[in-house]
Amino acid sequence: MTTTVSASGIGLRYGGTRALDDVSLRLTTGVTGLLGPNGAGKTTLLRVLATALPADRGSFTVLGHDPGTARGRQEVRRRLGYLPQTPGFHPDFTAFEFVDYVAILKEMTGRAARHREVRRVLDEVGLAEVRGKRIRKLSGGMRQRVALGAALVGDPGFLVLDEPTVGLDPEQRMRFRELIAGAGEGRTVLLSTHQTEDVAMLCHRVLVMAGGRVRFEGTPAELTARAAGRVWSSTERDPGARAGWRTGTGSFRNVGDPPDGAELLEPTLEDGYLLTLDGAGTGAGAIAGEGVSA
Amino acid sequence: MTAVVEKPVQPSARTEPGGAWAAVLALALLETRRLLTRLPVIIAFLVYVGWTVWRDGKAWGDFPALQDADRATQGAPTLVGLAVLLCVNHAALRSRRHGTERHFAVLVLQPWRRTVAHALSALAVALLVAVCVAAQFGREALRPGAIGQGSVGELLVGPLTVLLLGLAGLLIAGLVRSALAAPLLVVFSLFLFLFFWGTSDAANRWLLPIVTEASSNTLPSDLMGRPAAWHALYLAGLALCVGLVAVLVAGGRKPLVSAGLAGAVAMTLAGGVAQTRGDSPELVRARERATVNPEQAQSCVRRDGSTYCAFPEWGPRVDDWARVVDRVRSLAGGGAHERDVAVRQRIEARYGLSGDGALAPLERPHEVTVGTRWGGNRVPEFSAAVAGVLVAGSEKASTSMCDGRMVTVMWLTVGWESDPLAALRRVRLDDSVTGSALVLQPTDGLYMTDAQTEVLRELLDRPRGEVTARVKAHWDELTAPKVTAARAAELLGVKAPKGDDKCLD
Repeated sequence: MTTTVSASGIGLRYGGTRALDDVSLRLTTGVTGLLGPNGAGKTTLLRVLATALPADRGSFTVLGHDPGTARGRQEVRRRLGYLPQTPGFHPDFTAFEFVDYVAILKEMTGRAARHREVRRVLDEVGLAEVRGKRIRKLSGGMRQRVALGAALVGDPGFLVLDEPTVGLDPEQRMRFRELIAGAGEGRTVLLSTHQTEDVAMLCHRVLVMAGGRVRFEGTPAELTARAAGRVWSSTERDPGARAGWRTGTGSFRNVGDPPDGAELLEPTLEDGYLLTLDGAGTGAGAIAGEGVSA
Repeated sequence: MTAVVEKPVQPSARTEPGGAWAAVLALALLETRRLLTRLPVIIAFLVYVGWTVWRDGKAWGDFPALQDADRATQGAPTLVGLAVLLCVNHAALRSRRHGTERHFAVLVLQPWRRTVAHALSALAVALLVAVCVAAQFGREALRPGAIGQGSVGELLVGPLTVLLLGLAGLLIAGLVRSALAAPLLVVFSLFLFLFFWGTSDAANRWLLPIVTEASSNTLPSDLMGRPAAWHALYLAGLALCVGLVAVLVAGGRKPLVSAGLAGAVAMTLAGGVAQTRGDSPELVRARERATVNPEQAQSCVRRDGSTYCAFPEWGPRVDDWARVVDRVRSLAGGGAHERDVAVRQRIEARYGLSGDGALAPLERPHEVTVGTRWGGNRVPEFSAAVAGVLVAGSEKASTSMCDGRMVTVMWLTVGWESDPLAALRRVRLDDSVTGSALVLQPTDGLYMTDAQTEVLRELLDRPRGEVTARVKAHWDELTAPKVTAARAAELLGVKAPKGDDKCLD
């Protein structure tokens, strides 16, 4: 497997806050998931890797080029696809015009070849039928696919997707998963998400970030395995659990250190993720308190 | 994970980049297409073209002087320029307005090159306006009787104004990242224009893109004294300055851009200074000579015994003048029927184009003034001057006529026309065909009383041959000083007029 991104000791400070702290990672061909709570530094890391922000410490290469130099940055941008967290659109452009515009900004200049490529990506993201429609008339899901098409145009070697499934309904999310899985064939995709199911279903590798640092790097199975023997069922919420919630069957699912004789359950990726955050001292309890306590 | 091979990855064949400048051109094409399909630009173009076509039909007619026709192309493109200013500004702020700046910041083509593409889109519209200007001027040049020569410098003013305004919109987008700034600039520009218009005699009027003239005179092109080439250089330099500053503001701090800006500033200064130097002493002398002693600058030809002296550019007009002289003479009787006249082209050029000066009537016998404009009302006006000289003997004498000879003069003036009544209306100052009125001619006007108008109207209702025969038969009495309108009516066989027959004091 070819390493597309190799980073060592990346750091970035915003005012008094260290947004990235000694981040080292290696990304290879396929889809890599990036999990982490809000404020973990996911978007900052993506922006640094996408050359939108310069790191103030450490070094990294993308596709063999050093984004720290102007020439290297241009070379990276030439082979980069970037879908930001909240992509903007030019509402009076058609889907075709918008992707074509992005293709030109990627310095694709041969008109016929560029238009073929724009048609190809719009077809790939399932927008062939509406490519002549103005973006203002497209649904949120369709707009998100336009943005993905814009990221995919030019067949980038490195695709950076920042929470692309936020705000999509389940059917649209399923469709997006298909697209991302397809995009990950033969290229490196870094997918930032809050959806652990997305990671479980799509990614061959996963990174967990918290407090500006990488807390876990491995396969989804390895992340899941972190919760092996640490998920159990009970009739009442176990006060010793890091997190616990009532399930549809009426019993409680607890994550943490089980009491002796507890009825152990099969762990999920989310269990491993919660325990990783807890170990990082980022407040799994807080997470439980916010959303998953009974 | 297996072995790691890390080496620079080359773009695949599908995404082979074509170079930054090729991308700039591709983006410029896209921006041009979008600019030309923006509603304000479409409306401005429709108004510009519609107004130009309508005005072409109304104002000039045939016989245009090309040294005037070139300036007539300058005003209307300003409307297109203002629309381009707003739309280029809007397009340059597109990413900011729609929140794509963060996204597009990581795309290959740098912001300053995108600014160059916007500048090229303004240039494309300016070129389109140049085509319209060329078509407008070409149409004038191909009209029957077109004379003189246009100036490339004057013709460039319209397109350069559009370019300058478009680039101003781009610069404003770089300096003030608000969509409100450009409309405010438009209002400010209009205010500035009106302010400078009020001080149009000052040399600083040449700092504005379009410099209008107070006079509607047509002068020989070598006496115009408009520094058109310098002004075009000034406008081109100014447009370049504005465009290059916009590129600098967008981050294009390249040696080539800085050098270009230095060159543009030099162009602007050179053009700006040279255009405000005023009239040269040679030009002042040439204008004086053309006004006081036009014969020194004219050449004369003979047609059917009469002499026609014109400035060189008006040579092709001699046949048109001769046709009018022949027709007027054909209606006259006595010696006037065969009378040879000397037609002298005259101008008042001493004030240049800053004011209209009146021409005094000639005192030499049988000499007729013709102006520099022709077609439309100028034809019956010249006809009136010829008729006046044939009847009274000289221009001076004809302008002081105060008797029934005016009936004969006016018959000779309009009697040969295919629509004499329309010609009468055109030659009278108030466009009337009844009552008293001032009759226009190249020098001082003639005066028709109410009674004279009545008699002439009666004549125009009768067969031309019959009236012509009576005029010829009674020529001596009809052209005798002190003849009254009533007596003229009697001699010509029409009923006596009832209206007033008193001249102006």
